[in-house]
Amino acid sequence: MTAISLSAIEKSFGTTPVLNGINLDIADGEFLTLVGPSGCGKSTLLRILAGLEAPSSGEVVIGGQTVNAVRPARRNLAMVFQSYALYPHLSVLQNMMTPLKLRDLSLAGRLPLLGPVLARAQYRAIVEQVRETAEILKIDHLLDRKPGQLSGGQRQRAALGRAMVRKPVAFLMDEPLSNLDAALRIHMRSELAELHRSLKTTFVYVTHDQAEALTMSDRMAVMMDGEILQLGAPHDVYNDPQDIRVAEFVGAPRINLLPGSLDNNGHARCGDIVLSRAATAGAVGSVSIGLRPEHLSLCEKGTPEALSGQVVHKENLGADIYLHVSVLNGSQRLVVRVAPHEGQGASFGQTVHIMREHGQALVFGKDRKRLDLKTAGTGNVAEVA
Amino acid sequence: MSDASLPATSTVSLPAFRFSAAETIKHVVLILGSLIVLLPFYVMLSYSFKSPAEIMQNTGGFFGTQELFRDDYCIKLGRDAADCMVTPFIYNYTTAFEKAPLVRYLFNGVVVTASIFFIQVLVALPCAYALAKLRFWGREAVFGLVLFCLLIPVHAIALPLYIMLAKLGLTNTYAALVIPWTISVFGIFLMRQFFMTVPDDLIDAARMDGMGEFSIIWNVMLPTAIPALLAFAIFSVVAHWNDYFWPRIVVTGDRSLFTPPLGLREFKGDADGDNFGPMMATATIIVAPLIVAFMIAQRRFIEGITLSGMK
Amino acid sequence: MQTTKAHWWFVGPALFLMVVILLMPIAIAGALSFTSYSLGNPGAEFVGLENYEKIFTRSTYEKMFGATFRYVFVVVPLSVGLGLGAALLINSTRRFGDLYKTIYFLPVMAALIAMAIVWEFAFHPTIGIVNSTLERGCGSVLEAWSWFARGCERGFPLWLTDRDYAIWTVAFIGVWQGFGFNMVLYLAGLTSVPRELYHAAEMDGAETAWDRFRLVTWPMLGPTTVFVVTISFIRSFQVFDTVEAFYPQGGGPSKSVYVMMFAIYEKAIQQNLMGIGSAITVVFLAFVMFLTLMQRWLVERRVHYT
Repeated sequence: MTAISLSAIEKSFGTTPVLNGINLDIADGEFLTLVGPSGCGKSTLLRILAGLEAPSSGEVVIGGQTVNAVRPARRNLAMVFQSYALYPHLSVLQNMMTPLKLRDLSLAGRLPLLGPVLARAQYRAIVEQVRETAEILKIDHLLDRKPGQLSGGQRQRAALGRAMVRKPVAFLMDEPLSNLDAALRIHMRSELAELHRSLKTTFVYVTHDQAEALTMSDRMAVMMDGEILQLGAPHDVYNDPQDIRVAEFVGAPRINLLPGSLDNNGHARCGDIVLSRAATAGAVGSVSIGLRPEHLSLCEKGTPEALSGQVVHKENLGADIYLHVSVLNGSQRLVVRVAPHEGQGASFGQTVHIMREHGQALVFGKDRKRLDLKTAGTGNVAEVA
Repeated sequence: MSDASLPATSTVSLPAFRFSAAETIKHVVLILGSLIVLLPFYVMLSYSFKSPAEIMQNTGGFFGTQELFRDDYCIKLGRDAADCMVTPFIYNYTTAFEKAPLVRYLFNGVVVTASIFFIQVLVALPCAYALAKLRFWGREAVFGLVLFCLLIPVHAIALPLYIMLAKLGLTNTYAALVIPWTISVFGIFLMRQFFMTVPDDLIDAARMDGMGEFSIIWNVMLPTAIPALLAFAIFSVVAHWNDYFWPRIVVTGDRSLFTPPLGLREFKGDADGDNFGPMMATATIIVAPLIVAFMIAQRRFIEGITLSGMK
Repeated sequence: MQTTKAHWWFVGPALFLMVVILLMPIAIAGALSFTSYSLGNPGAEFVGLENYEKIFTRSTYEKMFGATFRYVFVVVPLSVGLGLGAALLINSTRRFGDLYKTIYFLPVMAALIAMAIVWEFAFHPTIGIVNSTLERGCGSVLEAWSWFARGCERGFPLWLTDRDYAIWTVAFIGVWQGFGFNMVLYLAGLTSVPRELYHAAEMDGAETAWDRFRLVTWPMLGPTTVFVVTISFIRSFQVFDTVEAFYPQGGGPSKSVYVMMFAIYEKAIQQNLMGIGSAITVVFLAFVMFLTLMQRWLVERRVHYT
């Protein structure tokens, strides 16, 4: 079931186009991530969905209703902001009460001092609701504090709490973890995912961090230059990128790209390397061959199709070691993931030989689109592949 | 649904016509306000262009008709009536300069404001540097004293200051006009806050290069403090060019020491009907330098004048 | 570094001047306020609390406090309110904001004494632009307003010389001169309000401008307001230029504009009564210092968020 659907959304600021006709359907209860480099329009798209920004054209539908003309608060969405946007003069309790007060209380009930007396029962219900939410988030002991007295992680929770109390149809999150330190960020990833599972509500999550997108989402939309390049499950986006920009953006360290060319039979070549699978379509000419670091390994000298080069840098991450190797006479650099025991011995300037795991190379045409490769029957190439 | 507190660029979709209606009302209110604010400036400029008759009868529009009129003072001097016909605009402005030593007043104003600013910087800058960057016994006490002195408006203690200067026989001197303002605790406070943000490394580097503390102040700290200093200069110059209270107290009678505000006040004192025009011309000349400078460097001025908001 | 005594050369002059120019006068004023000192007389007689007693009992000083407080309590709320209003309006319009800002700031830059003289012209009963403009409104719907109708019939008020109007007219000029300053401070305060808070308020359901103002703008301007109110108080307590320009002798019709700074000037400088002048100075200083300390306390306690 579709909870939210965005169709043909366009947006430009002045003459600068920011979004060029975005179509996106978000299923009910889904964790969808919008990921892309800064300036790709992901935040703008989220703000259009929230109603904080009006699209230049296109339609926003929530729960079957077009909401273009509906004010943000009436869309029944909740948003968690990058800076948390907690009201600094109000305690956590009051912060979390705010959306409920504005929604449920009449003007008289919102009066300072007098309000709590006039609408006693409603106030008690609101406080009760806030307490329940606070307990879920384990911030019930912080309710009397002001945001200024909280740590980054606690503020994060308070902001989440303010979003949760309304029981919205969807949570919108604009880079909510980017203000936290590295360790806490990783911890909060799993906590957010857990929260999503227990709430069973739609999450729309914006981030520039591909790792967050890969770890948390049900589906992720990779955005660039105001377009969605690819939408799919993290596994598919990583292993089956349809565009060279997606391949480059998703995955750390970045995918290795080697310049190559497509021969008449549709085989991509780069130096000695010839891919056995052939492109079914696509013009003959130059292509890029993408190889992920984990699909490369060290090998003995003389292995067919191996690339040789000098080690120029070594990144030791403990569990893995990434070797940066200068290949093809120093014109290209490859990053290779090796096991610690293999990488330990490698020294700078040492010549190493690299081979690839067959069937994993990704080939992209000049139009940046992925070329479909099929295992072709032309025997003479099959033997080397 | 007016949008008073939302920043203008945030676009919440609202029907366009409502928005423009709200926008129109805002502009009407703001324009009415502007008219009231500008009224005295209009009066001042307009009267400085008009002949006495036009001022009395309230005719002639903004610029006056600039018809020639007879200058009675000139007739009194026994000149021929034909020679005494003058254009109001020229008459007003020349009289402003001739009848009172306006040039002298302006000169005094420049001398006084300039020396005040110069001495303030000379005193405040080293002190601010020491408070911000040097560690010495009693530093906290000195800074505490600075914070306390921030509470004292100099105008409020004008009377005892006057008594002190009178005892020293300094009333009716330039010194009297300048001395009470030589210490600007606000300047010290401001510069100290600014210097706190200058990295210690910069000073250590200068010391490594063999600079003494004095040359660090004038060769390293002063150049980095230029923006703050400029703002402070504007703050100081505006305050003292426009100051009326203090000169009124310490300068009595001696016209050669009058600052522009005092000169204008004196002019008013012996103004008769004919002199409204020249008086407004004088007012215009006194107000003009700061207003023109403000128009040219608006942002800097607003920054400087509102400096005190940084506390 | 450890051997240098340079810091005393740096701090010394400032320290000396602070003591001589700022602290000593307070002590002198305090001491003289218990005497009947006057310049030129060799000795001063100790009179105890007599000067203070006069200040708090005599009708002249009752008028002084009356005029000062009337002035202050008109000018402070109005100049703060108008400053805030102008800042909010300017901040929310899309065009000409800078122009309005420039215009409203002009009075802050202009020498008050010069502008006071101009205002005196504008308020002149016969040739002044204010009354002649008002007269033009006679015969129109404005006459439905009884005050206006009376003005048309018997002439509009003598703004500066009528006892019932004088202090309010002077206060009006105070507001005219001061609100632009407050506006600029408020504009600076508004730019530092995080945008995201408005968006959060919008998401939370603050749909009207008033709701957003209550929830975000006003609380976020708290520190600015404390500062603006204090500085407005201190500035309006010190009003002198306009009063002296309009009423060089005596402080206005029936002493209705006899503000404190003018009283100090008149008693001490014009009449050479240094004792009483010092006593007023001390009372005045007490007011100003109390206000500033109050501000610092407020800034540190209530409106300090982060």
